[in-house]
Amino acid sequence: MPAGNEPIDAAAPPLVEMRNIVKRFGDVEVLRDVSFDVRPGEVHALLGGNGAGKSTLMKILMGVHRTDGGRIFVDGEEVTPTDVGTSLSRGVAMIFQELSLLPNLSVAENIFFGREPLRAGFRIDRRAVRERARELLADHGFAIPVDAEVENLPFAQRQVVEIVRAASFGARVLIMDEPTSALTAREEEKLFELIEHLTKRGNGIVYISHRMGEIMRVADRITILRDGRSSTPIPIAEARIEKISEQMSSTARTVEQVDQPEHSIVRRSVSGTPALRLRNFSTARTLDNIDLTVMPGEIVGIAGLVGSGRSTLCKAIAGLIPDARGLIEIGGQAIRPGKPHAVLGKGIGFVPEDRRLEGLVIDHALETNIALPNLRRVTGGSLGVVRRSRVRELFEYGTRGLALVARGPLQPAGELSGGNQQKVVVAKWLASRPRLLILDEPTAGVDIRAKADMGAALRRAVREEGLGILLVNSELDEMVTLCDRILILERGRLTGSAPARIEPAQLQALLLGGNTETIERRKTQ
Amino acid sequence: MSDASRPEVQSRHPAVMTFLRDHITYIIFGLVTLYFVFTAPSFATIGTAEAILRITAIVSIMAVGMTFVIIAAEIDLSVGSMASLSGMVGALILQAGFGWIPAILLTLAFGAVVGAFSGLLVTWLRIPSFLVTLGMLSILSGIALTITGTRPVPIVSSDFTKTLWDGSFAGVPVPIIWTAVVAIVGFYLLHLTPLGKRVFATGGNVVAARFSGVRTDRIKLFAFILSGFTASLAGLILAARSTAGNPSLGAGLELDVIAAVIIGGTSLFGGRGSIIGSVVGAIFIGIVGFGLLVMGFSTSIQEIIKGAIIIGAVALARR
Repeated sequence: MPAGNEPIDAAAPPLVEMRNIVKRFGDVEVLRDVSFDVRPGEVHALLGGNGAGKSTLMKILMGVHRTDGGRIFVDGEEVTPTDVGTSLSRGVAMIFQELSLLPNLSVAENIFFGREPLRAGFRIDRRAVRERARELLADHGFAIPVDAEVENLPFAQRQVVEIVRAASFGARVLIMDEPTSALTAREEEKLFELIEHLTKRGNGIVYISHRMGEIMRVADRITILRDGRSSTPIPIAEARIEKISEQMSSTARTVEQVDQPEHSIVRRSVSGTPALRLRNFSTARTLDNIDLTVMPGEIVGIAGLVGSGRSTLCKAIAGLIPDARGLIEIGGQAIRPGKPHAVLGKGIGFVPEDRRLEGLVIDHALETNIALPNLRRVTGGSLGVVRRSRVRELFEYGTRGLALVARGPLQPAGELSGGNQQKVVVAKWLASRPRLLILDEPTAGVDIRAKADMGAALRRAVREEGLGILLVNSELDEMVTLCDRILILERGRLTGSAPARIEPAQLQALLLGGNTETIERRKTQ
Repeated sequence: MSDASRPEVQSRHPAVMTFLRDHITYIIFGLVTLYFVFTAPSFATIGTAEAILRITAIVSIMAVGMTFVIIAAEIDLSVGSMASLSGMVGALILQAGFGWIPAILLTLAFGAVVGAFSGLLVTWLRIPSFLVTLGMLSILSGIALTITGTRPVPIVSSDFTKTLWDGSFAGVPVPIIWTAVVAIVGFYLLHLTPLGKRVFATGGNVVAARFSGVRTDRIKLFAFILSGFTASLAGLILAARSTAGNPSLGAGLELDVIAAVIIGGTSLFGGRGSIIGSVVGAIFIGIVGFGLLVMGFSTSIQEIIKGAIIIGAVALARR
């Protein structure tokens, strides 16, 4: 695979250069000192853990955010990106994870949207649109039907249309954010060919991905972001996965460790009924024959890259994926998959990824939110009336130990900070005394103090009530400190487990190095 | 509606300001009523109050069912046609020789079934309720007109009319009793039971409700059944009032009903509202209509003023 293996002309002026970029959101300094450049004809990979600032950096380049310091050059000329339109006209374009095509228009109409060739009388020259679109696609080696509506195309082809569209706009720097996360292996190949084609014409690519295998394959240089700083770019020939993982995993382990004296192992009661047992558990599109057991008093982590099916697994267990198949047992009782009301609040709690959209009714009071999955628990009397005093008791019970910062139980959930909102979601499920609690990215966007509070409350429930926990978390150091066992999920399949007492960097390497074969092949070239 | 200014206001005049802001429609309601009391001739009498409550009974009862639907973030535009058709169905059952009790019960069951049909179209086929019930509005009124070739069906059973309109119980006219019964049952279901809490959650955030184990489709279905049920009860009362089933008796009532619910503080986007508010809203609309009538405005002018007051009240109540 020759892409990117040609020697880069180091003397060529960069297409884009960002120097000493600083960006603050409120009091939080997201980028402290980041330098990054893209040369003609290269693929420059940008790596970093969640929240390292990759997206922020690219949004600055696109003119979505303003910098708080630093300089940006396009073609050697200093610029101040102010809005996306100007950045596009300077030849910088971003391929979004959620595609920005208009689904109800045809491929050709999308490619020429906003700059359609006209005939006399301002009528759109439809034939010219179609012919030129066909030429453009053929030019890049694709035979996508130009009359097809975009919504009927498979995801990979939409992505191609988007890239071709950007390139035809005269984009010379293309930013690709996790471009392979929704592609099959064969579609990936086509994407890599397209990338190669683009770089040969002197375009520069910024390639953001978590998958080390493909980075080793397509990238010419790698820059790592960590704690708001950038590393010196590493030429691909000198890159070693172990070293990169080490550089990526944050060493900033601070407050949360203070509250975690006891390590979790030992207390596992291996005997007894499992809190959760899955056998041949699959969904139509993502999960493939998952076998999994979580014992009471055990915290099991599911580690995987973006797109590996972590969230789907969580949702499927909670009954929220209608086409899930296979055996689920909660506390020894078999449950029909795909029925959320049969499991949620009846032995299983689920803290979803998006707390505002999926976890809370943000207009409603905190205690109302906490009572929602527990309504059968708060009624009394022959009329089955919801008792206010019981709702209040449940609120107190659920939030104890969580150090919730709120005016009171009647405050609307929407007024709370992100961390406190997340505490409310955790509280509503702890109040239901589940056998199993599923947590999907529970600490995303949550500050360190709140993380520590939630961690402590969860550990206590595990220790004292025998709660079993299934945890998905991209913050690997949190996984390592919290979990008794960590299982690796790769493209919908559980492919193994991480050894006990693994270091975050090692776990990172394990996840990134998934496709070791490719890397070996790449190295020997 | 800035949330940021809230705590400030509260710290200065804690209880009063909060109450005024939350109950602005009640204040407007009070002011309008006072205006009529002082300006309209002989407005402030028991007789007037009784008359207004009687007239209002129909809208109030329908508003109770509608409140469930709107809090669940759906809408039911078919209630007016449902009332017309129910009046016809009830009258036809009586005409067929059944007693007044089976006539009432069968008609109410009919209303619930039609409500369930709308609810199933909304939840199974995922057609927006606005469209489903707009279609049902047309279908139901068409059926009501067709079954007798647009002729009204006279009602001769005095038990029927006594039970629903003419009679009184402990000195209170029966329409007011029925309104109270429906409002109390509605209040109990919506504000006191787990079912009601689930209705609020479904309208507040349907995803979060589902992710909390609420069967949101069933909740919506229930709301539509209730709305069909209350609309057919209102239709029976309407028929009793005019001692006939008339195929266009309920035409246009859906607008008064929705206005009553919204004036009562229920959010058209779902998740917030109350039964008491809806009943108060219905009475408010009744008072405005009656007051303007007593003051001698023509019905066409009444409509304009009523509409303006409704828009004004909702505009002020928005938070």
